[in-house]
Amino acid sequence: MPPSIHPVDLITALRQRHLTPAIVFLTSRRACDEAMESFDHTNSVLPPARQEAIAKVLEQVIAQYPSIAEHPLIPTVQRIGVAAHHAGHLPSWKIAVEELMRHGCLDAVFATTTLAAGVDFPARTVIITQSSIRKARDFTDLTIGEVQQIAGRAGRRGKDLVGFAIVTPSPYIDLGVLTKGFTGHPEAINSQFVISYPMVLNLLKAHPLDQMQPILAKSFAQFQLNQRAEILERKLDDLHQQMEPYGPRVCTDWITQWHLYDQVRRQRSHRGPVRRHEPPDVSARFHFLTPGRIAGLAKSRGVVLRQYRSKGQKSPMVTLLRQGGAITECPAAIVTEVFDRVLDCTEAPVYPWCTTESLESLLRELEELPARLPVLPILVSKEHEPIPDAIVQTLGDFSCPTCPSRSACQKDHAHASKLRQEQQRNVKAIQALRTSLWHRFQDKIDALQHFGYLSPGARLTEAGEWARLIRIDHSLLITELIRAEAFTGAAPALLAAVMSSIAHDDDRPGAFPRISPGLGSLLGQVRKLAESLSPYEDPPLLRADIAAVTEQWIADPTLTWIGLCKKTTMAEGDIYRLLARTLEFLSQLHTLKDTHPALADCASQAIASLRRGVLEELP
Amino acid sequence: MTTEELEQLLAQQPIALLHRLARGRVQRHFRTGKRRLIELLLRHSAENRAGFESDLLALIGERTARPAAPPPRPAVQPARHSAEARRAASAHQEQEPHEPAVTLQAWLEGIGVPPPQPFVPDPWQEDALAKLQTGDVIVSVPTGSGKTYVAVEAARRAMEENRTVIYASPLKALSNTKFTEFSRIFGADRVGILTGDRRDNGQAPLLIMTTEILRNLLYDAAGGEIDVRLDTLGLVIMDESQYLADPERGVVWEETIIFCPSQARLLLLSASIGNPHDIADWLTSIRSTPCHLIKHSKRTVPLRAGYLHPDGKLTPLFRTLGIPHGHPGQWHPEAKRLFARYEDETMPSGRRR
Repeated sequence: MPPSIHPVDLITALRQRHLTPAIVFLTSRRACDEAMESFDHTNSVLPPARQEAIAKVLEQVIAQYPSIAEHPLIPTVQRIGVAAHHAGHLPSWKIAVEELMRHGCLDAVFATTTLAAGVDFPARTVIITQSSIRKARDFTDLTIGEVQQIAGRAGRRGKDLVGFAIVTPSPYIDLGVLTKGFTGHPEAINSQFVISYPMVLNLLKAHPLDQMQPILAKSFAQFQLNQRAEILERKLDDLHQQMEPYGPRVCTDWITQWHLYDQVRRQRSHRGPVRRHEPPDVSARFHFLTPGRIAGLAKSRGVVLRQYRSKGQKSPMVTLLRQGGAITECPAAIVTEVFDRVLDCTEAPVYPWCTTESLESLLRELEELPARLPVLPILVSKEHEPIPDAIVQTLGDFSCPTCPSRSACQKDHAHASKLRQEQQRNVKAIQALRTSLWHRFQDKIDALQHFGYLSPGARLTEAGEWARLIRIDHSLLITELIRAEAFTGAAPALLAAVMSSIAHDDDRPGAFPRISPGLGSLLGQVRKLAESLSPYEDPPLLRADIAAVTEQWIADPTLTWIGLCKKTTMAEGDIYRLLARTLEFLSQLHTLKDTHPALADCASQAIASLRRGVLEELP
Repeated sequence: MTTEELEQLLAQQPIALLHRLARGRVQRHFRTGKRRLIELLLRHSAENRAGFESDLLALIGERTARPAAPPPRPAVQPARHSAEARRAASAHQEQEPHEPAVTLQAWLEGIGVPPPQPFVPDPWQEDALAKLQTGDVIVSVPTGSGKTYVAVEAARRAMEENRTVIYASPLKALSNTKFTEFSRIFGADRVGILTGDRRDNGQAPLLIMTTEILRNLLYDAAGGEIDVRLDTLGLVIMDESQYLADPERGVVWEETIIFCPSQARLLLLSASIGNPHDIADWLTSIRSTPCHLIKHSKRTVPLRAGYLHPDGKLTPLFRTLGIPHGHPGQWHPEAKRLFARYEDETMPSGRRR
């Protein structure tokens, strides 16, 4: 079985069932073009009457837009009654297809989902072949709103009793996404408010700084932030109620008080060695009771086999080999004297704590010891380490140990402090939600003051007065370029080329004409400036190859549209959009005619030479 | 009941009943044949004979109580563990009350062209126009329900009162289409267009422009340097208002709405969105007049969903004739079977994306 239905079979199936006209949404422009090519060798041609009807409509459109007279798809459209409609086509072609659809001449249109909103014509049937679309170089699942937007093209009002949305699988389709899209409720929409430099300049031109916050508060962004803040506020109220039993006690802020006290208490207990109730001489002696040491007891002597601390009380203990061969475990306090003599002893990890051989030799040596042995002088320190003054002082500050509500505090502290932390977190979050827009606005003000578009009092400077007229993307880069006089004396073609490389934000690869050295060096400057501005504004792609397309179109007035298209692999529709966007940017520069007459003049020259051929025929 | 009697009784029952009995008692019971199943059930019954017998009798009683009930359910779907089995069972029970899935013939019936009728505006369209007299209006209806009619009528009424109307659309191409369309309706001299690079008949009472141009106009007017007739502006129509959520251009819609002069009415036309009431609340909160929400989700032309297999076989996508709103799981069994086969054949090593 093929991975997806062949376009010819698809159209045949639709015709059989009377499901035409249909819009077939395909994954890519290429898929649309390939679908059109697949009709080259079929004989499912239209009856002559319908072919004539198509020719008649096309004739009307061509009379208005001569640029599509030679369109390579026209023969297929006329013969089969199918067409392709995507962003790679010229707007005039899209108008032609829409016109044909409106007259009911076509059986199917192959379109891309990317511009489902741009397909502004209905049909009886829509065919859906995928469940995801390309967004910013990545495929994401269609949202419910998008599926319904696509399905919404099915069923023409007044021309159809029912509309059909038909899913036909292609690899990687997820039918679940589509069924959810058909049956679900569309997603909520969210504000995409961004504060731009021209917005700040224009607002400050019309209103003083102290009115800014109320204006920002009117945005849908703030409305939605407030909605979230309200939810948090309700939660805060709830927390407040939960906190009620933990109100003021003996001290007003008992949670903090107990928290501090608890910390200090813990800290203190961690200081120094664990204090034990043992006489100082025992603990002093204990260090010397190492394996092999001769220890004097009340009536006899013994050899220490090991020393340890008892499990529960941690009292010092020793294992002794006594005269006569008895091995006993006894408290270290039993040792009355520590002699200055150590016997060789090979330790072992288990009873009798040394190897059998060494046990025998130890016993023998113990018996052979002289009656008198030198005693090890051990200095007993009488004083205990005092607790550092600071801590003693702090502890003195706390009344907690003797406080009547001590047990209640101890019991509730964990829960109460958790509640209070949450309260504080919510308060902070609400604060952030209420003020984030204003902070973002202030950041922009700071940047504009840094570049000198705003005075320290947030009034527009001379530069700010004209810079606010540039209301397009990358406005900071453009105004900075103008201030750096980068365009002084530049030819219109060069100006337009740089503008188009700033305007173009698509990174689709392709082959492009060679760029002139003058443009290369100018773009180098622009790129350097854009990089230095990157903390304040995302740099544009600044593609040199794109700039070259525009440069060629303007610099060579004899170049035809077909000629331009042949110089690059860019799709016709993309070139058109690039030039149209460049026109928009140039017309923004043209608005600076009062302050920068030379630049505005240059821009209008560029506009004049840019708008010819295809670009002239379409509004 | 002796063991022999019990065995005989079990043997008399249909296999479906035995499977129901075995659920929760015998693991992987759906794998076994009838004789093996009886054997396993008997072995299991030793633990709690009384409970087993009463369950069996209850099932038999249930069966005899509705002899005409639908034939015993097909063998229980392969269930991996009991929880899933229970869910599957409950889903099955949920579906049972539905009538059987539609047939292809029924689904394809009714294709055709409706007889020409005189145009009668829908109640919601009248409602929107009436509400526009007292405040702003946001219309959120499915694609193709006739938002344009509301726009045209609203523009006509405002122009009759000698008010200027601005129609803002997101795309230049759309602006051009509307320009042609409105020129046909109102006459070429009464419609003007302002886009990034086109300026025709800028003094006309009905101006069509892209939203960006409208935003710039409002800024210039606020800056106090341009002669826009904002004081005579009576109505601003914003088409495709769902662009408010566009990551790049959404901000322009917000700016336009914020700075729209208070004496002008706003008419927002939008496709179906999830939270139109939020937008209505927002407009009410920032503008001097209340904002009315006109919302419905019923399509003018009913929609049916289908599934076309790559081999050319067409089936309905859902069990119901129309779209089962809120029940994405109600697939047509045939579509389900075909798509499962498609996935089996095309997915490399059964890996699902």
